[in-house]
Amino acid sequence: MIDLEKAITSLAGHDVDYVVVGGVAISLHSSGYITQDLDFCYSRSKENIRRLYHALSPFSPMPRNWPQDLPFIFDESTLRNGTNFTFDTSIGAIDLLGEVKGIGDYVDALANSVVYTIFGCEVRAFDLDALIVSKTAANRPKDHLVLPELLALKEALDPNEE
Amino acid sequence: MKRTPEEKLLNPRPGSKIADARDFGIDLTLTVSQLRLTPQQRIDNLQSGMRFHAELEKARKIGPLGKRGKG
Repeated sequence: MIDLEKAITSLAGHDVDYVVVGGVAISLHSSGYITQDLDFCYSRSKENIRRLYHALSPFSPMPRNWPQDLPFIFDESTLRNGTNFTFDTSIGAIDLLGEVKGIGDYVDALANSVVYTIFGCEVRAFDLDALIVSKTAANRPKDHLVLPELLALKEALDPNEE
Repeated sequence: MKRTPEEKLLNPRPGSKIADARDFGIDLTLTVSQLRLTPQQRIDNLQSGMRFHAELEKARKIGPLGKRGKG
């Protein structure tokens, strides 16, 4: 289980450029879906990777299911040498996505996001359309479970629908 | 007159995506409850749900205590 307040305030405190893209974004849009992790798409700029490293390093990230007898070093170089990461941390599971299927990279994610204020921080999250596109593209069984509610919310909130 | 999002969710038009979601098994009354909340309240609910889920997972790992419980 992710401690959302600690994660969000640390990311905000280090001015990390990111867009929340997964279950937390779905909840922000009023779905009752319950996730256990925080997924976000992040800018791959050198400066942002430095900020991201400083934001997450207090929580000792380790790749999920990493063999216990293998060493792992979390540093800026680790983040530069990969794109997508699934981390277990001392505050819960955090997934970092350099690219999101169906949407693209951080710049595309930013263009398809809206701003919410949570824990006193301005947080960007995928808009409903981006969530629908990305969940449709991901096409996993768990995505099919949330799509009907997302499509219903889109229809309900559309002022042009009766 | 245009219907509000709540009205649409609680009384879906036949053939609509909202009706599809209801027929899929989504409890749209919960969606309406979430819509009434602020983003912070939605996230607080999510965090509570996560905690509850974690407790259930712990109980599942321990397994049933039997008909008479611990004692």
